[in-house]
Amino acid sequence: MTPLDLIIAIVAAFLSMCMFSTLYGKSSPLYALAEESYIGFGTGLTVVVNVLYIYRTGILGIKAGNWVLILGIILGIMVLFRVHPKYDYIARLPIAIALGAGFALALRTTIFTGFLDQIRATIVPLFSGDAQTILYRWTIALCVIFMLTFFLYTIELKGPLKWSATIGEYMMYIAFGAIFAQTFMGRLALFVGTMQYLATPPWKKPILVASMVIVLALLIVLDKTGLLERWTPEE
Amino acid sequence: MSAFFRSREAMLIVMVISFLIVFIPYFFNVPALEEFSTTWITIAAIVNAFTLVLAVYSQFRRGIYFIRTGKRAWGFKLWMLIGIILMIIFATMGMEKGPYSWAMQAIITPLSSVNYGILAFYLSSTCARAFRARNLKAFALLVAGFIVLFYQAPLTGAIIPGIEPVARYFTETFAMAFARVFAISVTLGAIVFGIRVLLGKEPMVLGFTREER
Amino acid sequence: MSEERNIFRMLAEIDRRIIYLLLFIVVTVPILRPIAMPLAVSPDTKQYYKVLNSLGPDDTVLFVLDTEFSGYMEIQSGVLASARLIIEKGAKMAIACSHPEATGIPPMMFSYLRDVMEKYDYKYGEDYVVLGYIFPNEAAVASSAQDFHGVVKEDWRGRPIKGTFLDGIHDWKDWSLIAIFSTGVRSDAFIRHYGLRGTPMVINCIGVMIPTTKPYVDTGIFKALLPSMRGGAELEKLINAPGPGLAAMDCFTFGHYLVIFFIIIANIGYFGYVRRRAER
Repeated sequence: MTPLDLIIAIVAAFLSMCMFSTLYGKSSPLYALAEESYIGFGTGLTVVVNVLYIYRTGILGIKAGNWVLILGIILGIMVLFRVHPKYDYIARLPIAIALGAGFALALRTTIFTGFLDQIRATIVPLFSGDAQTILYRWTIALCVIFMLTFFLYTIELKGPLKWSATIGEYMMYIAFGAIFAQTFMGRLALFVGTMQYLATPPWKKPILVASMVIVLALLIVLDKTGLLERWTPEE
Repeated sequence: MSAFFRSREAMLIVMVISFLIVFIPYFFNVPALEEFSTTWITIAAIVNAFTLVLAVYSQFRRGIYFIRTGKRAWGFKLWMLIGIILMIIFATMGMEKGPYSWAMQAIITPLSSVNYGILAFYLSSTCARAFRARNLKAFALLVAGFIVLFYQAPLTGAIIPGIEPVARYFTETFAMAFARVFAISVTLGAIVFGIRVLLGKEPMVLGFTREER
Repeated sequence: MSEERNIFRMLAEIDRRIIYLLLFIVVTVPILRPIAMPLAVSPDTKQYYKVLNSLGPDDTVLFVLDTEFSGYMEIQSGVLASARLIIEKGAKMAIACSHPEATGIPPMMFSYLRDVMEKYDYKYGEDYVVLGYIFPNEAAVASSAQDFHGVVKEDWRGRPIKGTFLDGIHDWKDWSLIAIFSTGVRSDAFIRHYGLRGTPMVINCIGVMIPTTKPYVDTGIFKALLPSMRGGAELEKLINAPGPGLAAMDCFTFGHYLVIFFIIIANIGYFGYVRRRAER
């Protein structure tokens, strides 16, 4: 552990606890400090990596002999005219090109992955395999049919369709319960990972605990003295 | 020249041509077409990278407005702008070691993870409020959620192995079926929206204002 | 009787900050003082292990860090355990990022895995290359699937990749496996441009992605799915290399049990106070 490592650990732990201070329930200057630090440095990072991408893909590509990529640089510069009040229409051409290409990239495979393959995976043999496989396949097939019925808004649901939609609704609630639990596990894992990062290696543990205590104490003091709102930036 | 850029029809034609350049070669094995399509995709990727500059410009504009009008605690906005500039300067000094690496370890890395870690707290309080057996549907939600939560605790799976088949039944049938229904619905919606854009029914996407429509 | 009603009301209307504080405590304490409770291994993890274990020295893996740094914390155990297993099997590895924040992950990875890399003589350029942030958007993924060297000419330090094992990679057909460690940044693009063409893929994803990713395992686009941090912990147990995943399982247990406890008391409060008040 060098003095630099110690400073980095202190800054990281303090800013992280400042970010958690939003859980106190009130806006605070501590949260604002963490938020603006993240936005500022994060935006700077994104600028750097994107400029590097333009350089490596565009400029180096042109130098390697792929002259067509000059068009990419020119179109990219045209996009920047979007902010000019008088010449913003110039940006429409590169936007149109990027939109068309992006839509084609997504559509040419989404039809299969998001639609046909999903339907194909549902239409499986329902009477082959062991007991568990048969149970799973029947449940999935029935769930998909009943749930899709629930989303029919263009016709009036009556008779068997209404029953199907009602069963689908109950099945969706069961699905929501399971998905909610999985989502909680995912978010808890993020939180646990965060705390692990702040507490590893072991010499960071006292820094973490001290940061927690200091930030909580500051929050309470600022709240009691009425400075919490006064020092928080306006939205 | 400006008439070309202002023309809605011209931009639609450009968009459709761009679409076809990327869409059609995927289904035919013609190397020359594929190579041209790949280059076109790379050009689109470079254009996308340039759009980031617009986002940074917006940040700067908003921040300077805050500072100039002297809004409450404007110092934080100034710090944000300083952060953007500092990070760019740090990157030019070297990305392997030095201030760039320090800023990554001290600010970006921990705050990035905290940003999402906070959601665990919101979900936990939502669990306590939403998982109440108000009626039969809520009871179904509660039972499924309770069993899956119980199973997900690693200790439970180790000491009560019998819970695994029940929890997996909920997650691999009901949850998966809903995921499929969701994927089908979203895909259909996205395809319909994309076709509407290509047919010119959504001109706002190309930056045409209501008046120009 | 009125005292009983107050207790039910308190349970029904519990201040959310109490929940936050208790969750904070039950997660932080096991990190500061680990307990190491037992853990069962799920079939998903066994399948994932089987796929990685079948790799050999002739295989080339595209190791995609498709995550912001925040999400990396959740799949860190899976990333490290998978990388360890790939190194032990002698397969070649090209590490690529699809988010700017992921560029900080490879140095952390190799710092953590230094001992196993030395043991297996895993060398830069011969056995692994770090390509950096080469997938900023779907267009870049699509281009790389069609013409890899047309898109990627240098590694993340600007050194040419010509002369490394990547000379044998031309398009989607040449990868033995694509291992995606994802929070959903660009995983759809990989499915569309690699998976659908038949390139073998596995994924270690965050918890919220599991329901939407499982169908792709079903349809065979992904050979296996390693679920979230728990999957990473199970993989660590399978390969006998305890790491951050196993260390975090105590927190998982206490965190889940705490939420279950609050669900139970919230329902007691609901039936004891809110329901009775509504009936009256």
